[in-house]
Parts: sequence; C-alpha cells; structure tokens
Amino acid sequence: MTSNREKMGLKRIVKNVLRLMKDHELKFILTGICAILSVLFTVISPLLLGDAINILIEGASNIINHTGTLDFVGLVKLLTIAATLYFISNVVSYLQTYYLVKTTSDIIYSIRKRIINKVMQMPMPSVDENQRGAVLSMLTNSVNVLEDALTSSFVEITTKLITIIGTLIMMITINALLTVTIVGVVLLSSALIAIVSKFSQKYFTKRLYAQGGTTGQIEEIFSSQEVIRTINYENQITADFNDNVDEWYSHEWKSRFLSSLNTPLTSLNSNLGYVAIAVLGSIFVLQGSMTIGRILSFFEYLKNFTDPIETLTDIMPHLQAGIASAERIFEFLEMEDEDNPSKNELEKFENEITFDNISFGYTENERIIDNFSLTVKKGEKIAIIGEKGSGKTTLIQLLTRLYDVDSGEIKIDGININEYDKNSLRSFMGIILQEIWLFSDTIEENIRYGNLEATENEVIASSHKANSDKFIRQLPEGYDSILNEDGDNISHGQRQLITIARAIISNKEILILDDATSNVDTRTELLIHESLDELMENKTSFIITHRLSTIRNADKIVVIGKGKVIEQGTHEELLAKKGYYYNTLKTQENI
Amino acid sequence: MNDLISPIIKKYKSIILILLLLIVQAYFTLTLPEYTADIVNIGVANADINYVYDIGIKMIAITVLATISAILVSFFSIRFSSGYSRDLRKMIFPKALQFSNLELNDISKSSLITRTVIDVSQIQMFIEELLTVIIFAPILGIGGIMKSLELGTSLSWIIVLIFVVIIILMIPLFKKALPYLGKFQEITDRINGNAREILIGMPVIKTFVRQDYEERKFDKVNSEYHETHINAYRIILLFTPMLSLHLSLMTVGIIFFGSFQIESGDLLIGDLLAFIQYATQIVTSFIMVSTVFTIMPDVTVSIRRVNEIFKTEVSIVDGEIDAVNTENPVIEFRNVDFKYPNSENNILTNINFKLEPGKTVGIIGGIGSGKSTILNLIPRLQDPTGGEILFAGENIKNYKLSTLRENMSLTPQKAHLFKGTVKSNMTIIDKNASDDEINKALKRANVNFIDGLDDEVVQGGANFSDSQKQRLSIARSLLKKCNFYLFDDCFTALDKNTEKIIKNNLKDLEGASILIVSQRISTIKDADEIIVLDDGKIIDSGTHDKLIESCNFYREIVNSQSDTLKDGI
Repeated sequence: MTSNREKMGLKRIVKNVLRLMKDHELKFILTGICAILSVLFTVISPLLLGDAINILIEGASNIINHTGTLDFVGLVKLLTIAATLYFISNVVSYLQTYYLVKTTSDIIYSIRKRIINKVMQMPMPSVDENQRGAVLSMLTNSVNVLEDALTSSFVEITTKLITIIGTLIMMITINALLTVTIVGVVLLSSALIAIVSKFSQKYFTKRLYAQGGTTGQIEEIFSSQEVIRTINYENQITADFNDNVDEWYSHEWKSRFLSSLNTPLTSLNSNLGYVAIAVLGSIFVLQGSMTIGRILSFFEYLKNFTDPIETLTDIMPHLQAGIASAERIFEFLEMEDEDNPSKNELEKFENEITFDNISFGYTENERIIDNFSLTVKKGEKIAIIGEKGSGKTTLIQLLTRLYDVDSGEIKIDGININEYDKNSLRSFMGIILQEIWLFSDTIEENIRYGNLEATENEVIASSHKANSDKFIRQLPEGYDSILNEDGDNISHGQRQLITIARAIISNKEILILDDATSNVDTRTELLIHESLDELMENKTSFIITHRLSTIRNADKIVVIGKGKVIEQGTHEELLAKKGYYYNTLKTQENI
Repeated sequence: MNDLISPIIKKYKSIILILLLLIVQAYFTLTLPEYTADIVNIGVANADINYVYDIGIKMIAITVLATISAILVSFFSIRFSSGYSRDLRKMIFPKALQFSNLELNDISKSSLITRTVIDVSQIQMFIEELLTVIIFAPILGIGGIMKSLELGTSLSWIIVLIFVVIIILMIPLFKKALPYLGKFQEITDRINGNAREILIGMPVIKTFVRQDYEERKFDKVNSEYHETHINAYRIILLFTPMLSLHLSLMTVGIIFFGSFQIESGDLLIGDLLAFIQYATQIVTSFIMVSTVFTIMPDVTVSIRRVNEIFKTEVSIVDGEIDAVNTENPVIEFRNVDFKYPNSENNILTNINFKLEPGKTVGIIGGIGSGKSTILNLIPRLQDPTGGEILFAGENIKNYKLSTLRENMSLTPQKAHLFKGTVKSNMTIIDKNASDDEINKALKRANVNFIDGLDDEVVQGGANFSDSQKQRLSIARSLLKKCNFYLFDDCFTALDKNTEKIIKNNLKDLEGASILIVSQRISTIKDADEIIVLDDGKIIDSGTHDKLIESCNFYREIVNSQSDTLKDGI
C-alpha cells in the first residue's frame, strides 16, 4: 500500500519535473547532443593511445631485430588525432554542463517565482502563523535541495550513465572476457559499499539525535544565560553539556567513519580492476588475443567506468533528498488559491457596515464568533473590547476577509461583502496591528507603502501628522534610514508611529486598529493616541484594545465575550449600566 | 588562534600516527604500477605465465593492504577530527556562558549557537579533509617522483610542466570564481529574509493589496540569485574539463616523448605504462587538493568566528572576597552611570539609592528608561561604567561572583524554566531543599495549578501559560533564603488578583530587602520608597503619597493607568 502510494507520488513528481523542462526543450536537446559527442570522443581516444603503444612495441622489436625503425610519422599522426579528440570532447562536455546548469537555474528561478506567487494567492489559513515555518522552510531549504539535486545529480546522472554504457560497449568489443571480469569486480565492491552504508545508517540516526539534543540544550542555555548566572548554575550546566557532547562524539565518529569507508572501498574497486587488467591482459597478450597497447586502452576505460559509478553512489542521497523536496514543492504549488470568484469592484462606502448574525470558528468544533450582530454607521468610531480570546481580532479578520464567515453575513451598504472582489474590498481598509510589520528598507519607502504614488512631500506630511516626523529627522539618515529586522535603531513605539504614517498616507475609508498600543508603556501610548486621533479623523474606525483608558471618546463601545456582544453603548451609557465595562474599569482604577 | 590549535597539539601523537599510515598507504598505492611494469617487461616478454600469476597475487595482496591502510587513516583521522570538535565545544561553552550583555552586543546569542554548533562542525570537516586528502597529495607526489626516478626515465619534467600549466590557468579562474562563492551565501540570506518578511507581513500585504508589489520586489532578489548562479557556474564548470584535458594531454605527451627513449632502448614498454600510471596518480591527487579552495572561504569564516569567541575578553570577572559581612546587609548605589560601548547616550546617569533590611524599594519608569539595567547591575550581569555599587560596605566587584550572587535572588522579566520537573526546577537553587520547603515557596508564589512536584516541565516551560511560568519562576526565587529579593517587572504577566496574593506573601520575607521594578503603578505603590526613572535618571523618589504631590511625571503615569472613572460618574 505504502510503496504503491510512493510510486504514484514519484510518477507525479517526474511528470511535474518534465513539465518544468518543457519550456527548455531546445537547451535540453543541445545538452543531449553535447553529452553524446563528448562520450563518443572520450571513448574513442583510449583506442588511439593503445595503437600508439603498439607502434612503440613494434618499433622497439624492429630495432632489436634490425628489421626497421620506429614509425614516428604514424605515431605523431595517432597522437595528434587523440589530442584533438580530447580537446573537442572536453569543450563539448563543458558546453553540455553549462547548458544544463543554465537550464536548471532557469527552472529554480521560476519555481521560486511560482512559490511566492502562490503564497500571495493562498488563503490566510494556509500562510498564517502556524504554517509560516513550513512555508518558509520549503521556500528556502527545499528549493535549495532541489536545485542541488537538479544541478549536481540530474546533470551527472545522465552523462555518467552515457559514459558507463559507451565505455562498456568499447570494452566488450576489445575483449569480452576481461570486461566481464572488471564488471564482476566492480559489482562485488559496490555490494560491499551498500552493506556498509546500510550499517552506517543506524549510527547516522543516533548521531542526528544526539546532535539535535545538544543543539537544543545549547539554545536553551544561551537564551537563558542571565538566569543561569544569577542562580550560580554554571558548573552544573557545563557538566551536563559535556556529557551531551561526549555522547554526540561517540555517535559522530562512528557514523562518519562508516560512511567514509566509501572512499577506500571504491579505490579498492578500481585497484582490483587495475590488477585484473594487468594480469589477465598480459595473459591474453601471451595468448595472442590482445595487443599490449590495448592494456593501456583498458586502463583508461577502467577510469571511465569506475569514476562515474563512484559519482553515482555519491549523488544518490542528493537525488533522494531532491525527490522529497520536489514532492513538497509540487504539493504546495497544487494547494488551493484564495477563493476570489467575484470581480465586482466595491466603488464607494456611503452608509453603514452590518454584521448580521455571523458565526465563525478556525476549526470545525470551535466557535470563536457566535451569532454576532452589529451595525456601524459611516464615520463612527467603534471600540471593541473584551478579554483575550473573546474574538475581537477574529472579527477584524472576517471584515477584511482574511477568513470567511461560516454563517451569517457582513454587509457594506446592504450588500454582502462576499459579492465583491477581495482586493477591492480590502483597498477600502487601513489597518494598524499589534504585531508591527515594516520591511527592511528606508523609512520613506515604508511610509510610501501605503500609497505607492505618493510624493516625498506627501510622505513627510503624513509622517508629520503621525507625530513621527520629529524623531525621524533626528536619525542620522533621516527618512533614508534603513529599518533593520531587529529594529534596534528605533523604539517599538516609534515603529508604530511609522505604521500610522503609512495608514494616514493610504487614506482609507475604514480603519482598523488592532491592539495598536499594547506593547508600549502607558505614556508613549498617550502620544500614539494623539496620532491615531489624527488618523481617524472623518473615518469609520474599529478600535480593538484591552486598555480602556483610551476609548472614552468612541461613538460606540462594544464589549464582546465568547464571540457574542455582551453590552454596547457610549462610555456614559455603559457606566450607567454598571455591567462588565463598569466593573472592569473599577478594577483598573483600583490603585 | 592558540586556543584553536592547542587541542591539536595535545594530540600530536595521533597526527604522527596518521602521517605514518598515509606514507604506508602511498607506498602501497605506488607499488602497483611497478608490478605492471614487471609483468609486461618480464612476464610477457619471456612468455612466462606463472610469473604473471605470481605477480598478480602479489598485486592483489598489495591492493588489499592499501585499502586497509586507507581505512585505518580514515578511522584515526575521523576520530581525531570528531574529538577535536568535541574538545572545541567544551572549550567554547564555559567561555560563552560568561558573556554579559557587553560581549553579547558584539556576538549575539543566536550567533553563539551557530558558532558552537555549525561553525565547529565546519572546522571539523575541514580537518578531516586535511588529514585524509590534502596531506596525502604531497606524500603521494613525492613518492611518485621518487618512483619515476627509479624507473630511470627522463620524463618527469612533463609532470612538472603540466603542473605549472594547470596552476597558471587555474589561478585566474579561482580568482574570478571566489567572489561569487562568497556572494552566494549573502544572496541566499537575502532571499530567505525577503521570504520571511513576506510571510510575516501577509495580513498587511493583503489588506494593502500589495501582492504584485511584493512579487516584484522578490523577483529582484530572485533574478539576482539566478544571474549570480549562472555567472559563477560559467567559470566553476570550466575546472573539470580543463583538468581532465590536461591529464589526457599529459598521457599523449608521455607517449610521444617516451618514444625517443624506447627507440634508443633506454626505456621498456612496461616502464612507460607504469610511468603513465604514476603521472596520472600524482596529478589527480594534487587536483584533489584544489577542492580545498572551494571550502576555504567557508572555513576561514568559521575559524574566524570561533576564534572571536576565544579572543573576546570577558569583562565581568571574579573578585577576591568569598564571604559577606552579615552585620551590614545593605546594597548602595553611589553615582552609578551605565552606557553601552560605542554608544553616545548614557542608559543610566548618576543613580543613588540604598536597599536596606526589611525595606521595599520600587522603581517605575517607561520602556527603555533603564529600570531593568539597574537591576542587572546588582548581581553583576553588567558592570557600571561610572560610580560604584557597595554591598555590605564593599564594592561588589571585589566579591567572587558566586558569593555575590548567592546572597541575592533575582526574578527575571521573562520567566525561564528548565526541562525536567517542577521539583528539578526548584532544586537548582538548593540541592538539599526539602519537599516542604519547596511546597512553601510554591504556595507563596500562588502556584495552585500543578498536581505535584513531579509534574513535567518541557523545554522552555512551554506546557505552562506565561502567567504560570512566571509564578513558578517567582517560587524558585522565593525558595532561596537570602537578604535581597529582586523582581524585574515579573508581575506584569499576572492578573491583578494573583499579583495581590503574591505581594501579600512577600511580607513573610521578614528582614529582607525587596526591590521591584515595574511599569505598573499598582505593583510598586505600597513600596517604602519609589524611585521614578526617566531616560536613565532618577527624577524623584519617595512614597506614593509624596510623589503624587511632588512629581508631575509620576502623576502622569498614574493618570495614564487609572481611568477617569470618578470624573465619568
């Protein structure tokens, strides 16, 4: 059953790889011609060398017997032809490998492009936090492994196979018996190698395990250095570490040693072949069925025969890894795109947004949003509050259609948002998230991300409104400062101000602030809120927060719990109700 | 560099053994062609089949011996190189463990991990390669030259000539290829970085509808990679055919020039065949050496990175004193300044305060105000750049680190639990702590969610929530009996109720001084003294009631955290 499924997989992979290659047919044909030519010349040359040796032998015996001299003219002729063939063969073989590498890197380029394109098209659940690691490792590791497999293995396998076959044919035509002996010797030691490598697999697994364990320990320890130091735990932990490293070592050398046996065993291989040629060849010479020159030819053929076999055993693991990677990549590329059937553009937003009895869960068995209803008039500021896990953020993900409701409807001006093209819907919304996302480029480019057509002046103007202009100008490079991933050049609060500037410049009708100030201290929060007020002027906005101090001016405060509206109203109304809002405020006040 | 070399020198005996084995291996490998010559020159010439068989058996024996010696070389060099990496890791680890923020500024924690794991492995591979392949080449080369001289041919110059030609052609090629090899890693990193950025930013990208923009941006890096790849391989791929062409031309040359000696009777056919074998072996083994150049850039980087760890001088080192004067358990900050090297701005400026027995001090301030830094200075996780900190009247730098740290208990901002059990996490503090004592500490930290002391703790404590981890971490700190308890903003992850319970329990720590750092007013409000910190400076201090009156900044914080419920009603 399993093997059957694997075969199906392999077939599909091969089909996919072949489809990739289709666009490069011409280059592949060219490669093939070069490969055949190169093998042909490589295989003929040893015969010429053998003939040259024969001329030498004949000449030597002529001289001893005084029957003539060495045929220099013939010798030079043969050697010149041989040298020319060698030259051509190598030039052709260069061209062949070059074309193949060019083709494979073209293929890899387009695979990367397709993956990123896929990532862009996929629905949010396939690329969210839980999937991020998997997608990333595919984009980087798997593609690299596949590239490795395509460039090194794929190229080599085809040419090496041709070389082996060509050499085999030539050897058989010269002397079948000697050929059979050589093949026998080679097979024998290949079997030996196979046995050893099977044996080494066991230690290899153990080694990986020990290595993983130690790496994990190192990570844990280095990331908690301060704790370890303050509790005087260093000596104990160093002793533990040394134990782990010792164990790793014992598996490490065993597995490496066993797998290193490949090299001496393959050279045993070619040396035994060498002996067979020298001994058997001489016997055939004595019997008159072969010339001495052919012994040299055979020496050359032996090299042409065993080298490719050695390479093939070396690249087998690469190939296997490549197949596994290809499988992951093609599976990924075949995943479903984000469903976006409608091409209707949302033209304008005039009246209201309605959440009409909606329900949603990330998995089938949970209900994050449970029969939720709410109406928001254009221009209103809506604050959504509630405890962790109450469904605040989910609500926003449904409104932006990163996820789709399970039941109920979200409507804009009475029309279900599912009727619109997702992108056109989203282009009406600006968001500020708790998890700040800026990319590594200049501050100016990051702000302009909100409106790609914005001029430099517009960028600065919106930055001004967001209260970020002042600190940006204080940076040594001003708006040209590059934001790095660690973000150590500016503070968290400042980064949030930049995203606000980005939202201001994008000038969207609907604004969503998802816990935008939760990672800053309370005084900075006040500053950010000033900027947010600027941003929200004349807009319809949704403010999600768990800090109540900042939402008093909202037109409506919606308290949700377990996916349902618990209470809603203005600050004053809710206080009068003395419900959840009132009680929460009271505990926060309690200092 | 000495640190990297010392484990090698210590095992010089292994190296000598490996060298001897390599010579043996070379000897056997080079003997084979000699026998071929004998077979052709004597066996075939005299039509003596028995002689051919005799030599054949000897050749097989030598082949087997050569293989055995090669296996032994592998065995010893792999044990050597694996052992080297083990020793190196054992040396790096305790050193890196001493790094404070000061050193970690230059070598980050994640970089320390890669250095200990990957860079060391890289060096290990290199040493293995060095012992089995790279040293073997010259041994084989010298042996081969001796052998071919024995044959009495005057053809050795061809080998030398081919070498010179190969080197002359290769050097410019290598020079052209090397920059590309270095660039690969850099571009791969950029591709990965860009991909990560895209994945993390997906919600933003989708809502800004910037899919095309991002694809175009990615395409730029992708194209660059594509181009670099092709350009690099245009050169790298030249190596193999070029080398094999020269090897073949060498054989052609040997036959041509050998023909003169054959004609004059100075050289026998068998010897010519043997010489061709020698020449090929010698040149091939030297070509193997050239693989060094492809791994060289990576290895040099790894060596440099590991060496950096050894070169880094640890700034925080032991003092002399190993006992504390218990009569005066006071910690005092005197005009303490702190700043990072290469940074212009002080993190802390002129900090003065005292921790006295039985008193609680609170420090409040915004993110980046330097609160945690003050705390880290006390157990000397960092050292002040100005002023001094006194412990029982003595500068803390004069104590042994373990002595100093034994006398205090710090709960970090980010709780860290170790893999093991609840109990094993507690006994880290005190090996001999009884279950009763542990339970008491757990109770004080309001740990009411475990079944027993043997509950499992997975790596990083991931099987507990943030708040639970924090409580366990607090329990661990409370288990320690000492005069100073330092809490670094560790109550933030707790809900108010739990915080209240734990703070109440802290009153049991009679006679000890408590220092609590927080950005939450409610946490430090009851402290005997509250220090208000802004931008690394103490702007005011006193009790809550006093500060409400005197300190505008403090009032602002209070206002930003309390809602205006009173006004509302």
